[in-house]
Amino acid sequence: MEEYPEELRTPPVALTCLVGCPEVHPLITAHLHSQQPPINAIALPDFSKISVIPPKKPSRDASGPLAGIIKRDWLSKHRTRIPAVVAAIFSSRDISGDPAQWLQVCTHLDNLKASIRGRNTKLVLLLLTNWDNKDDTSEECILALRKRAEVDSKNLIIFVPDHEEELKQSLSRQVPFIVSLSFKVFGLWTVFGELANTYYRDEGRRVRTRLEKKNYTSIELNVRYCFKVALYAEFRRDWLEALKFYEDAYHALREMVGTSTRMPPIQRLVEIKAVAEQLHFKMSTLLLHGGKVLEAITWFRQHTANYRKLVGSPEVIFLHWEWLSRQYMVFAQLLETSSFNDALYVPSTASVPEEKPTEWEFYPAYYYQLAATYLKEKNTCLEFALSMSVDVGPIDGSAESVVASAYLGQYSRLLEHGDAFIMQPLTDEEYARYALAEGKRFQDSFEIIALLKKSFEAYSSSKAERTAAYCGLQMAREYFSLNDFSNAKQMFDSVANLYRREGWLLSLWEVLGYLRECSKGMSSAKDFIEYSLEMASLPETTGSVESFANDCGPAGPATLSEREKIHKEAFEVSRGDSELNSDEQNGAFKVKSDYPLYLEIDLISPLRATLLALAAFHQPMVKPGAPSLITISLRSQLPINVEIDQLEVQFNQSECNFIITNGQKPQIGSVSNLQLGRRVETAPDLVLATNKWLRLTYEIKSDLSGKLECIYVIARIGPNFTICCRAESPASMNDSPLWKFENLLETIPIKDPGLALSGQKAIQVEEPDPQVDLILGSSGHALVGESFILPVTVASKGHAVQSGELKINLVDTRGGGLLSPREEEPFSSDNLHVELVDMSCDTPGDQSEAPSDKIQKIQPSFGLISVPSLDVGESWSCKLKIKWNRPKPIMLYVSLGYSPQSDEPSLQKVHVHKNLQIEGKTAVAINHWYMLPFRQDPLLPSKLKSVSETDQAPSLALNEKTMLIISVKNCSEVPLRLLSMSIETEEKSSTCTIRPQQEEFREAIVNMPGEEFKKVFTIFPKVNSTKLKIGTVSLRWEREQPHSNTTASQVTKHRLADVNVELPLLVVSLECPPHAFLGSPFLYSVKILNQTEMLQEIKCSISDSQSFVLSGPHSDTMLVLPRSAQVLAYMLVPLGLGSLQLPRVSVTSVRYSAGLQPSTVSSLVFVYPAKPHIDLKPGDA
Amino acid sequence: MIVCVAVVGHQNNPLYIQSFTKADDSLKLHHIVHCSLDVVDERVNNPKKSGLIINETFLGLLNPTENYKVYGYLTNTKVKFILVTTDLEVRDADARVFFGRFHTAYVNAVSNPFHIPGKKITSRKFAERVSTIVKSFGLSSSS
Repeated sequence: MEEYPEELRTPPVALTCLVGCPEVHPLITAHLHSQQPPINAIALPDFSKISVIPPKKPSRDASGPLAGIIKRDWLSKHRTRIPAVVAAIFSSRDISGDPAQWLQVCTHLDNLKASIRGRNTKLVLLLLTNWDNKDDTSEECILALRKRAEVDSKNLIIFVPDHEEELKQSLSRQVPFIVSLSFKVFGLWTVFGELANTYYRDEGRRVRTRLEKKNYTSIELNVRYCFKVALYAEFRRDWLEALKFYEDAYHALREMVGTSTRMPPIQRLVEIKAVAEQLHFKMSTLLLHGGKVLEAITWFRQHTANYRKLVGSPEVIFLHWEWLSRQYMVFAQLLETSSFNDALYVPSTASVPEEKPTEWEFYPAYYYQLAATYLKEKNTCLEFALSMSVDVGPIDGSAESVVASAYLGQYSRLLEHGDAFIMQPLTDEEYARYALAEGKRFQDSFEIIALLKKSFEAYSSSKAERTAAYCGLQMAREYFSLNDFSNAKQMFDSVANLYRREGWLLSLWEVLGYLRECSKGMSSAKDFIEYSLEMASLPETTGSVESFANDCGPAGPATLSEREKIHKEAFEVSRGDSELNSDEQNGAFKVKSDYPLYLEIDLISPLRATLLALAAFHQPMVKPGAPSLITISLRSQLPINVEIDQLEVQFNQSECNFIITNGQKPQIGSVSNLQLGRRVETAPDLVLATNKWLRLTYEIKSDLSGKLECIYVIARIGPNFTICCRAESPASMNDSPLWKFENLLETIPIKDPGLALSGQKAIQVEEPDPQVDLILGSSGHALVGESFILPVTVASKGHAVQSGELKINLVDTRGGGLLSPREEEPFSSDNLHVELVDMSCDTPGDQSEAPSDKIQKIQPSFGLISVPSLDVGESWSCKLKIKWNRPKPIMLYVSLGYSPQSDEPSLQKVHVHKNLQIEGKTAVAINHWYMLPFRQDPLLPSKLKSVSETDQAPSLALNEKTMLIISVKNCSEVPLRLLSMSIETEEKSSTCTIRPQQEEFREAIVNMPGEEFKKVFTIFPKVNSTKLKIGTVSLRWEREQPHSNTTASQVTKHRLADVNVELPLLVVSLECPPHAFLGSPFLYSVKILNQTEMLQEIKCSISDSQSFVLSGPHSDTMLVLPRSAQVLAYMLVPLGLGSLQLPRVSVTSVRYSAGLQPSTVSSLVFVYPAKPHIDLKPGDA
Repeated sequence: MIVCVAVVGHQNNPLYIQSFTKADDSLKLHHIVHCSLDVVDERVNNPKKSGLIINETFLGLLNPTENYKVYGYLTNTKVKFILVTTDLEVRDADARVFFGRFHTAYVNAVSNPFHIPGKKITSRKFAERVSTIVKSFGLSSSS
């Protein structure tokens, strides 16, 4: 777009001319420029300069032949030299001064009028006046001036530059005859704009009339007139009309192609194309700036379709391609710079009757790419034309004097005749020669690359990688043609990756061919051989027609014979038999012993097809030192058999590496260079045939436990050529993308089909069998609270133990760890249910061992202890002390790691693992209950309590003796010895008295599993309290172990619940003998104790019972004195036998309305038939 | 005249590509087919923008390169068919008819029990059918 002149690229701007009074010119021009739309102005300081405006030419002789279609400078003339409006500026002094000045003014005006006569140019008078003497200018003067200049009153502007604001206010009143004018500069712009518009409209109309009347003699004139009308319309900003007439001009021009005979054919076409280019450019600009992208694209399509076939004369065909390329490039630039937004695009097929543009046609990249393509075409044609023109002879100097002529798209020779220059038309031959000479001057390759690069980047950013790759390919070809190999190689490489991935063989073949040449050019033997081998091992392209295509670049057709040729070349170079010839100065490159060649093929290398190495062990695991079979399978897709001199198989354990030599070949020197002692095998032959597996199976031994993995298979071909191939497992082998789609005979890499599917390149070498016993002495269940001692013994049977380590882990069998769910405080011992407390070991014999050697780490669930060196047959033991805080089963894992030899302590550890489940159980269960005084009930409790509360704490009577029974049950499965039991009171001893405080059993009581042991204490509460803390029962016990007496005693504690101590105010006690005899009377008395300070009225009644005869009051009311007791006695004679219910007594306190019926349990008595012969002491019950 | 037809697999790899020109421009045709896959991707990924009807297998004109027109077709198994023609006036209906026949031929070829899905189509029978279809291109609807 830059090659177009400025006036074509920008929209035309109306032109005015200012004459006289140069001091105000800057003010006016700046103002006119700043308005929208702007107006340009030619500033002429005085009236003598008026001749700058070109005078109207005499009307062209209509009969004469037309020299061209459009004058080259017509547009610029109208934009810069022919004003639409001329403003004559006079100062007020000039006209109101003396007559001489007035005469001067008149002369100037006449001259001015004369110079614009013939043209339609509008005249404006500008009267410059000052604020101070604005009234000096008389109306008469102004009128005279107006008459003289023949202008309307509105075209005379009084201009007051120094006092604008006030002028505006005052003058509108004082000067009524120019009231329609605005006196601001703004008014100036309006007037100028209106007049310019009128001018351009009149001019346009004038030309249009000619068109409408068909008043033209040739199509050239038709085109010219249309162009002019359109341009005048553009001056007026009437875009629609402009577009219409540009289209008309374009169509008219198109008709000229076959009909015009005015000029020699070559130049004629060149001219037509140049004009068409300009017209189309104008149309595209208008359409794109109007947002009509779709129309612009459709127009462009039509434009290129119209002219693409008009290639013109064969000797200058390159001019056509250059022209076409420029069309695309300019359109791309227009599309890029116009404000078109992809998101705004709404396909409107309605306005475009033809098929709508495809996606890429909205992207500038598409046009850039095609521009590059045509430029390339031009280049090719130009080179051809140049080569043809050589025999014509060198281009003579006459071409130098050829210049562009006055008409657009025409060239002529400039001849000097004395002082004058004469334009002489050219013949076609001369023109062709000139065009060739011009073409030679320019180097198009860089431009092609720049265009392609733009396109490449745009496509890449819009994720069209394939199209981008195609651009890249074209770019790379261009670099290649420039011998810029490194840039070319870089581009080719990235393109090749895409083709490889998507399996486009023919395209890949072409790219690789170029790459091969690039590496040749860069003298890189390694690259050369890599690309050659890749090419040679490409799959055959399907469809025989395709492969014989000859346009595959430097590689030639993708045929088998070509591949074989490339294969041979590559191996010749690799053997050093032939040199890698490069065109560059640095000369030939040869593979020698100084420059050995080393190729590496990994899992993603494209050379996997060239050499694929699989390694498969036949077993998944092997004992150390035991032999295992490994199969190395090699496959190549190269078209010709390859003979390998030597194969080296490398493992991660370098001792296992071995070499396979070719039995057919004499030993070559490189073997001797290898490390001595390396295992060498000989294979009968090492020949790789196309797509056939070469399988080699060998035995391999490893003494080191762990993973043994085959890493590399290195093939040596010739003295200086090595291919290092990363070994793959058959199980995880996948074909390269190129071969994946081929209908290839599927062969399995290993004879055993199972192994071919599942074989692995790595084997697990096991540890040697441990010859050390690890014994965990188990002694049944552990008991909560005790330190459970577990002996661990390490006994060596066949191995000496060196640097042994014993690891102990405690794991919850139910999972969830040994800690309580509150994991926030993992090491607070309260939360630990089971913990490893201690590890103690008895070092046998050697006590002098340095303590630093001994590692001992203890954590609650983990322990580490080092085992001293043991010789064969020796043993060592330690004791683990584990403590259970809660009953819980745990799993104890003990593992011993040691090395049988002392020389290599870091390697080859042997491990022995043992585990044991230990259950922790509660040893004893302690229970307690209280025995309240029998048949004694409070009639009135000291405090009324809600029912739920009474359930919780038992109530003890104040200052009464209550019995406390502690029972101990053995829950474990071993007999326990109870050593002592005590109750530790928490509060001061004054609150209650407990007897006995502590009791050491004189002889330990053996508590068998399941047995219950009871002990009675008495409690005498002395304080009235609702929550009396009694204390904690401590039971000391130990395991009953007949053998050792060393077991430590454990203490189990049981906290007694709080009790409620109360002082009942009224106490009812029933008294009767523990048993009675049939027919023998006994006393049954009800005693009421009043502990209040008041006299209490008590109602008492007794019900009859069938089993007893009763004497005494059935119902009575009595008064009990404060702090005294009243007894109500009945005499009963039993009539029945057995456990009988005593007559029910009910006692009621009248004052408190509290009644009491003693419980049925407390009112039972057993009646014997007769007095038994046992001596019963009264009061035992 | 049809100059090239192609069957393109899931990884945008050519399963079958055949050109019908005498000239040595098969490589150029390969490039054209390969580049048009970008447009196929674009259409399939943005069906709304390109105005593609859902479940429509015929993708329409992909690329009006200067001398060729490229049409695309996407089967229900996401295999792409590409057609390159030198006719500048091609009716969509003709292209549709062509692709319909071509699809049938393709289905028959891949239904061969000896054909491995995803591999290149080497069936000679298929090639014969394709060349018959190519020859009859544009004849059916004009007659």
